[in-house]
Amino acid sequence: MEHIEHLEHTETPKDMKSQIWKTFWILLAFTVVDIVIYFILLSNHSMWKNWLFILLGVVKAYFIVGVFMHMKFERKTLMYSIIVPMIFVVFFVTLMIIEGDYTNLLRWFK
Amino acid sequence: MATNTLSTERKFNWGGGKSPFSVSYGKLMMWLFLLSDAFTFSSLLIAYGFIRYSFQSPIHNLVVKPFDHLSHDFVQEMVEKTKYFVQDHWPSPELVFNHFPFVHGIHLPLFFVSLMTFILILSSVTMVLAVEAGHRNAKSEVSKYMLMTIIGGAMFLGCQAWEWSTFIGEGARLYGNPYGPRSFAALFFIVTGFHGFHVFSGVVLNVIAYINVLKGTYEKRGHYEMVEKVGLYWHFVDLVWVFVFTFFYLI
Repeated sequence: MEHIEHLEHTETPKDMKSQIWKTFWILLAFTVVDIVIYFILLSNHSMWKNWLFILLGVVKAYFIVGVFMHMKFERKTLMYSIIVPMIFVVFFVTLMIIEGDYTNLLRWFK
Repeated sequence: MATNTLSTERKFNWGGGKSPFSVSYGKLMMWLFLLSDAFTFSSLLIAYGFIRYSFQSPIHNLVVKPFDHLSHDFVQEMVEKTKYFVQDHWPSPELVFNHFPFVHGIHLPLFFVSLMTFILILSSVTMVLAVEAGHRNAKSEVSKYMLMTIIGGAMFLGCQAWEWSTFIGEGARLYGNPYGPRSFAALFFIVTGFHGFHVFSGVVLNVIAYINVLKGTYEKRGHYEMVEKVGLYWHFVDLVWVFVFTFFYLI
């Protein structure tokens, strides 16, 4: 445990507490926006609505990872080595959505 | 010669003798574990997306409005009156998840799950406040916020247990359900169950860290890094819930 003392301290903003609460309100607001959009667009089944929800989820993820998990204040190298591999998930999502569309078609012609 | 080695070390982060990411090995390993866990959850959610997308979109609800009164057997009423739950169409989540504890027969779409989300976000905030207090070595504050986090996690688990039992009570099983596509309830149980298991292990880790805070283990050690590591895990659980909520209840 000794070597921890030698680590140069990554910068933490002085007003961390207020930033935490600000993030809480942002997350809460986005959740409320999610639910409001859900009920406004209840009859809408277009794909962009789903992408909108996913986008809102990614925005919330940005605040959770950035502020709560302290990622904003870590070294850039650490940030990229965790964030960049998530490209595989984006790739996989695209792949399986296209695949799901075909399966839907197959059900239609059954 | 000695000065030469020193200048090389200064030049390269990876020259040895210092942490290249400027975090301890424990934190780095926690990050790598969370990355692998993110892949696991992604594959589960992508499986959900694939199956969900291979069915027709939910049928729009024109009849039941929020706060409407319903009969005792809600599922039966939906099947008979409105024909919402059919085999080819994915069920509309607001028609399935519309129950609230101690409130009977009133249509409260997504109210309960919103409350669960709120509880989890709040427990995430108390966790990060504990981490922040740990930076100042304020033992009493750390223990206070950690206890609040544990209570929040336990509340969330209780909510999930209630939701599961209501869902099972309506006839949802791993092999079938009254809402339409067979895979709907199976996916729900597997993904929320896997997330609930993470919340549970997070609460256990939090309890262990909390006991150590009370015992003064970290105070003796001189830093509260263990609280930070447990905090990383806890925030990840919150992060996963954001996406579980998005996919299961909104899309």
